Amino acid sequence: MLSVSFKSIKIKYKNQDRVLLHDIIFQLTENKINVILGKNGTGKSTLIKALTCLLDERFYSITGSVLLDKEDLLLMSLPELLHIRRTKIRYVFQDAINSFDPLKKTGFYFREFGNDQNINSLINDFLLPEKEKLFRLYPYEISGGMAQRLLLILALLANPDVLILDEPTSGIDTPVTNLILLRLREFVKNSKKSVLLVTQDLEIAKNAGERISFLSGGTLSPFYDAKEFFETQRISEAVDFISAYNQLL
Amino acid sequence: MSNKILKVDNISYSVKGEAGRISILKNISFDVEKHKGLGISGESGSGKTTLGRLIAGILKPSEGRIIFNSSGGFNTKKAKRIQILFQNNGEILNPFRKISDIVDEAISINSGKKDIKEKRIALFNSLNFSKELWNRKGFELSGGEQQRAALARLLAVKPELLILDEPFSAQDPESQLNFLNLFNKIKAEFNITLICIAHNLRILRKLCDEIIIIYKGELVEQGKTEEIFNAPRHPYTKFLLNAEDYNLTYEELKTSF
Repeated sequence: MLSVSFKSIKIKYKNQDRVLLHDIIFQLTENKINVILGKNGTGKSTLIKALTCLLDERFYSITGSVLLDKEDLLLMSLPELLHIRRTKIRYVFQDAINSFDPLKKTGFYFREFGNDQNINSLINDFLLPEKEKLFRLYPYEISGGMAQRLLLILALLANPDVLILDEPTSGIDTPVTNLILLRLREFVKNSKKSVLLVTQDLEIAKNAGERISFLSGGTLSPFYDAKEFFETQRISEAVDFISAYNQLL
Repeated sequence: MSNKILKVDNISYSVKGEAGRISILKNISFDVEKHKGLGISGESGSGKTTLGRLIAGILKPSEGRIIFNSSGGFNTKKAKRIQILFQNNGEILNPFRKISDIVDEAISINSGKKDIKEKRIALFNSLNFSKELWNRKGFELSGGEQQRAALARLLAVKPELLILDEPFSAQDPESQLNFLNLFNKIKAEFNITLICIAHNLRILRKLCDEIIIIYKGELVEQGKTEEIFNAPRHPYTKFLLNAEDYNLTYEELKTSF
């Protein structure tokens, strides 16, 4: 169970502290895909990076707490954090291809999982080429959609409690997005698992989001279920956003 | 043929690979009518961007020919009047030059030094490029602002054909709507023919008169936009349209990968 309470996230800018995000309080609902929607540049990526202290502390200062099973991540030492990021909370970042070392073949990243039988079935689930071929490819030889799927496989192999995805649909075509959604829905069926997905893509929020909230003006709205979010127009800041989307349909 | 601005005549494109040639595009033919909008769609890696680059003359087809019918008559070599808006606009804006300088230069290439300032202001205004950005440099603009600046630079040379490569990806719905309206305005105001490459079929519906679908390097369907949406013929087109609702099953997805 991940429980977040940020009083503020500030950045140092020309010797002054600028508040980027403030008063953000939420809990991830287990067995659900939790979606945070927001426009470009509202701080979505900053927010998810702050959860496991991925923001450079020379520039950012965070006050608040991030409780994972009652332990505060913001108070942890680096080795403890590394352990959490390796096992409990896994990320799939935007522009997945940049998460790979350009000089290493994709097989390199699978070594730590040895002969885990799940590797084959996951590769199959994600409709990727067979292992022998796939593991010999360098990052420049794979497409963005393949990179995204590979990162997801690596994240799922670690069997985390929380899976965080940053803009999983940007630059990815709809069939791949479809496939990713199928897998995410399956993942959250398992006990105590949850997904946090941040995006500006209303289409995926509508289809995937079981709990949706909106980030704007530096703070986060409560989470609503998809129907409530789209139909009741509960969140006044999101009205223009939703209406633009409807006009594009 | 006089109402056609572009004739793509049975082109193929291949690159050298470890074991012989790798085919990227195969036997593609289509025409584009003047002042119309053509959408090119298909999954990532299907060869959409390559096709755009071939039309713009950045790449040469391995076989076949592309005939561009500019206002000066048919010409297969000097396709000056084609401009392309790349996916990554950083590629065409010098990050350290002022936007107004970049656009002035393009205007003077096209029509000499006379009335540059007036022309530039008119251009910026028609693109809703706000005044406080005119004297900024490329790196000081956000993604959406860069896109507008890049468009100003492209339109400054008065192209007859404008190719847009995934202009909507990585934008939130409000900016998507803004750009959609802008492109429709440009099409009418600048008397231009548009080719828009996008994997998002829904947006193409709002912008294009005709759509072609590329699948694994081949043109599998071509038709009027409404036909494609209401009565798609090729299974892959049907698949793409269904995929937009994010509701496909694993078995359905399996057939296309």
